[in-house]
Amino acid sequence: MLGIKALPREEIEAIFSLAKSFQEISTREVKKVPALRGKTLINLFFENSTRTRTSFELAAKRLSADVVNFSASSSSLAKGETIIDTVKNLEAYHPDIFVIRVGSSAALYALTQHTEASIVNAGDGRNEHPTQALLDMFTVSQQLGSCEKLKVLIVGDILHSRVARSNMFGFRKFASQIILCGPPSLVPFDCAEEGIRVEYDLDAAVESADVIIMLRVQQERQTSAFFPSLREYSKNYALTPRRLARARKDALVLHPGPVNWDVEIHSSLKWRVHPLILKQAENGLAVRMAVLFSVGTKKRTL
Amino acid sequence: MNAKHEDEMIIRNATVVNADGEREADVWIRNGKIEAVGRGLTRPAAREVDARGKHLFPGFVDLHAHLRTPGREDEEDFASGSRAAAKGGFTTLFCMPNTEPAIDLEGIAWWVREEGRRVGLVDIYPVGSITRERKGKILTEFCALRHAGCRTLSDDGDSLADSLLMRRAFEYAKLADVLLVSHCEDAQLSQGNSMRESRISSRYGISAVPDIAESIIAARDIALAQYTGGRLHLAHVSSAKTVTLLRQARAAGVRVTAETCPHYLVFTVEDVEKSGFDSHYKVNPPLGTADDRAALRAALRDGILDCVATDHAPHSRIEKELPFEDAPFGINGLETAFSALYTHLVLTGACTLPQIIRSLSFAPAAVAGFTDRGAIAPGYTADLVLADLSRCWTVTEEEWCSKSVNTPFLSRKLSGVIECTWYRGRITYQEQRSG
Repeated sequence: MLGIKALPREEIEAIFSLAKSFQEISTREVKKVPALRGKTLINLFFENSTRTRTSFELAAKRLSADVVNFSASSSSLAKGETIIDTVKNLEAYHPDIFVIRVGSSAALYALTQHTEASIVNAGDGRNEHPTQALLDMFTVSQQLGSCEKLKVLIVGDILHSRVARSNMFGFRKFASQIILCGPPSLVPFDCAEEGIRVEYDLDAAVESADVIIMLRVQQERQTSAFFPSLREYSKNYALTPRRLARARKDALVLHPGPVNWDVEIHSSLKWRVHPLILKQAENGLAVRMAVLFSVGTKKRTL
Repeated sequence: MNAKHEDEMIIRNATVVNADGEREADVWIRNGKIEAVGRGLTRPAAREVDARGKHLFPGFVDLHAHLRTPGREDEEDFASGSRAAAKGGFTTLFCMPNTEPAIDLEGIAWWVREEGRRVGLVDIYPVGSITRERKGKILTEFCALRHAGCRTLSDDGDSLADSLLMRRAFEYAKLADVLLVSHCEDAQLSQGNSMRESRISSRYGISAVPDIAESIIAARDIALAQYTGGRLHLAHVSSAKTVTLLRQARAAGVRVTAETCPHYLVFTVEDVEKSGFDSHYKVNPPLGTADDRAALRAALRDGILDCVATDHAPHSRIEKELPFEDAPFGINGLETAFSALYTHLVLTGACTLPQIIRSLSFAPAAVAGFTDRGAIAPGYTADLVLADLSRCWTVTEEEWCSKSVNTPFLSRKLSGVIECTWYRGRITYQEQRSG
């Protein structure tokens, strides 16, 4: 289990209730509990990340785990060391948890048999980013009471988005409907399975949505080759006040961050949407504490 | 080599399987040739082999293998590749020119043929490249390559992107009497991506190749073959769409033949998911859907797909240890081809044994223009395979002959054990039975 796909609903709920109890720790004067004292966590990042890595690092430290960051750029692969080798090498230090981010999709499944430690997926290519989806869903449950039977709209580059994939699997476990909306060239092949609908027109898609997850246009990943221009992209897919007005009045707008203002979300909406996006980051810490706690006590993967 | 010379021999009471059926018979072999096939042969043979209860096939002809030599001798060389071939029942093998350097000159082709002869376990034919250095720009010297033993030419690993150059190749191939083997892949559509575009690739975000990346080029090359009157052989067909094109082309009288590979007949995208994205299931073209597999099996029964070739593609352990998307393409196939087909096609009722033997022996021999092999009949070369179909074996590294072990069949149990292979009447492989 290295993503939301294989995570049962009960476990998601258990993580949420743990996260709820961990939230308070971060508001204390001494922001630390001994839950994972004596445990070692290695943040193993084969792909650049500062936000996710920092969030995991803080989460681990607030649970008193010892944290080491290991950034293996692609250069170690160029030197002939595979990810399996790197993990086996670090395994010699007897860590309890690996938090791994890697650029190749589904790269972690083959890894589990090579380590005794728990593995937490911090993003594997375009496959999954489970803790991001958990924090999105946790945020939604907090705001709306539950993730049950909602209309969840995901907007933008679905094709390359691990955030979209994890959320697609997560929300459906709570009988919510997913609407995928983006340029047709950025919607995955044959992805309209049960509970998923594809709608290319954002004006139509946003109708009565409860939750709107705006995805980041990842210009560094040559996503731009999939549509003619950023100008045309934002004309069709940016969230504007007019479009937002078509959703439910209290619709939640989420974004995994960082936002490209005026590309994905019109900057005039910043006052309306930014507080919740910042709340996502805050909830991310509590959710990651919950995840680390639940994998830190026995070997498992998430 | 442990090749034992058999001047004269009778194989008694074997179930002799040819493309047109099977019957119990004795086979008399003399001076590397089959002298007679029939019941109760009485000849003063030097030696007799009792093959009661066992099956005897014409030696297998692999039109498509990568022996990695010259260039990547760490992955395979002529000696290890020949041992693997003999163990798998192959007696004739065509090795692809995506080597370093490529087989694009007469001298290199000669060298490959000579090195193969020196090992002496299997008849190795070089496949020359269609273009110099396989770069898709300038044609190689077809006549010179033909003279050096190249019966087929291919830029395997890539398609010729330039349709005009491919037209010229079809035209010029008539002069040289060489068969063009087309690796069908629109490189712009495939982008070097890792698995077949499907619901599974979408669910896991795996970079994907649509089936039309194959069929678009197949359609182009069929059209070129028809237009020029040239001959075309389609390599490693993996999709139902290409099968449809092939059926239409055959019906229209186009001179086109085709091969598929054991892995496309056995596995699907579902197996890629089930394996946890094990790179041993990564191959180019990628494994298709259950519909593709069904279409390939039907075409194999009909003979629309003439041949099964291995596309034997050894890769080093370390390269296949990379994550699925980063690992190289290719499945190591010589040693498991027959048993995989027997287990997954014959025993399941998808094909008959003669159909499988047709695709492994008779049809590829005919496609390559041989008249002396591909059947067990008087006058044919004594290339023979003796198998016990009642026994099973487990694929293990310990008993593996190829230098590389990149096979999805590793640790799997397969039915049908090859006990002995004769190449021109000499034993080139004999099963070592423990205990």
